Amino acid sequence: MASVTLKNIVKKYGDIEVVHGVDLTIEDGSFVVLLGPSGCGKSTLLRMIAGLESVTGGDVEIAGKRVNDKHPKDRNIAMVFQNYALYAHMTVKDNMSFSLVLAKRPQSEIDEKTGWAAKILNLEPYLKRYPRELSGGQRQRVAMGRAIVRDPAVFLFDEPLSNLDAKLRVQMRTEIKDLHERLKTTTVYVTHDQIEAMTMADKIVVMQGGRIEQVGAPLELYDRPANIFVASFIGSPSMNLIDGVVKDGMVDVDGARLALPPGSTATEGQQVVYGVRPETFTAGNDGLAGTIAVVEPTGSETHVVVRIAGREVTAVFRERVSFRPGETITLAPDATQSHIFDKASGQRLA
Amino acid sequence: MEQPRHLRVLRDIAAVFVTFIFMFPILWWALTSIKPISAVFDKDRVVFFDFVPTLINYAVTLLGLSRSGIAIDQGIGMGVGGAEAYDSRRAILDSVVVSIGATAVTMAVAVFAAYALSRMAFRGRAGYLNWVLGQRFMPPIAILIPLVTIYKDAGLRDSDSLYGGYLGLMMIYALMNLPIALLLMKSFFDDVPKDVDEAAMIDGATRWQSFSKVVLPMVRGGVAASAVLVFIFSWTEFLLSLFLTTSIRTVPVKIQTFVTSTGNEWGFIAALGTAAAIPSFIFILLVQRHLVRGLTLGSLKE
Repeated sequence: MASVTLKNIVKKYGDIEVVHGVDLTIEDGSFVVLLGPSGCGKSTLLRMIAGLESVTGGDVEIAGKRVNDKHPKDRNIAMVFQNYALYAHMTVKDNMSFSLVLAKRPQSEIDEKTGWAAKILNLEPYLKRYPRELSGGQRQRVAMGRAIVRDPAVFLFDEPLSNLDAKLRVQMRTEIKDLHERLKTTTVYVTHDQIEAMTMADKIVVMQGGRIEQVGAPLELYDRPANIFVASFIGSPSMNLIDGVVKDGMVDVDGARLALPPGSTATEGQQVVYGVRPETFTAGNDGLAGTIAVVEPTGSETHVVVRIAGREVTAVFRERVSFRPGETITLAPDATQSHIFDKASGQRLA
Repeated sequence: MEQPRHLRVLRDIAAVFVTFIFMFPILWWALTSIKPISAVFDKDRVVFFDFVPTLINYAVTLLGLSRSGIAIDQGIGMGVGGAEAYDSRRAILDSVVVSIGATAVTMAVAVFAAYALSRMAFRGRAGYLNWVLGQRFMPPIAILIPLVTIYKDAGLRDSDSLYGGYLGLMMIYALMNLPIALLLMKSFFDDVPKDVDEAAMIDGATRWQSFSKVVLPMVRGGVAASAVLVFIFSWTEFLLSLFLTTSIRTVPVKIQTFVTSTGNEWGFIAALGTAAAIPSFIFILLVQRHLVRGLTLGSLKE
């Protein structure tokens, strides 16, 4: 078990800088998710922690010790890859015990540890099988087994669930979370899927363009996104972002007037972006009037896409509604749950 | 997409037909090898199956029996002809030694070189690959005369020393086959995700361990397929062997000597030819699956 500290990490490929000075502390035993769109530098950051990529500038520390120049095998980490990266010619047991065999551990210890890992991961019936004889979820568990037998200080996961189908993904999500609850090993998990991040993380690190946009607990990011990027990236369906101008203490959106959220620091005449989560809209008389374009019932809730003055706004209703496309509707945002951002800088104004 | 039934039947018929056309010369060859001389040379009709099969051609070429001796024993007229000239046991041994040696040398170099080209970054890697491929553009005959003089000076001809002759053939076959073996092996290595190397590295493997314990075992099918191809190319090579050797006679060169001033010994040619095709045939069957994958150079994804 160990904490991981990143100090002003920079990564360059030739002249192209892809990670621009990242500072981050990952506490001992926590489950931290690096979240962002592809190309945001999250995988590069993870690979620098693993030692698979060199660090151009700054320091990577594991358990307080600088590891920049250490070989991956000397960092006491274990990694699970997106495509599992299993050794196809070895049985499940050999896959899991490979690191112990290389370390020349006694056979009794190898048997004991692989047995323990197989038990935790429900792989006991499959120890003698080859990876090609396993399902996707079982392969993923073997990859995790390979990681846990070593009892590493840090687990690194690089998009481990993106090769699985939707149903299995939900199941494995729970299993990984459960594994972390039991082992309490510091975990860094990379994903582009905000649902995965929200459900699993103690702390989410949202990244974009090689920079950290915001760090916080899942609901913290959901309730108080620091900028437009985080606001739009977290939440599904995503937050409605409506351009407006502050006028007389209200936000003017093409003539419709919306109340400023409490604590707003927006100033008179400022160009702003007004953010409303789809589920905080209510159908009422006061607010944004428009025409219903699409109604999407999902069972538990209904998504309604409304065209308001040329822009599309999504509202989610938990109760059963009987809207039809073509009808007019007025959507009233709840100001206490709305967000306001500066249009120019994208930063939160509250 | 499920095709209509008549289209599928038509496709199957076409496949059988095309295969038959390709297989026919081989079939005819094998048939000729068990025909008595009278059936080979029937000026009035083409003999398909109405002959009494004989193994005499195999007995002479593979066992070194004398044809006239057999003829006398069995009381049949089989024509005459030198016995030893058709005994091909030594030629088969020569071919086996040279082909296996060449395959071993080629694969030893190709496996390491292909791993490096697949996994290590170094200056001029892309150019190097093109250069390797370029070696295949030149027909061997273009280098034949300089090669003969070089081999003479280097003592790599069998007229200088027998072992030199073997070594010389192995070396030139290895050179000839290296480009294809290298490119094939590179495509097999490229098919192993780099994540596997990295996983091995994190598991504590050194570069050598990740090569020898993880990546190489994962491409062993590819190694087998490439080795079979190299073996077959060496086994069937004619031109270089003809010019570079005198006492060493590989099988293709040996067969050519059956075309004599007093007539072509079709029965012996067919027998030795058929026998020589059998090992290639078996090897190809064994590695067929990997060959298809390798020869498409990684363009097929499962």
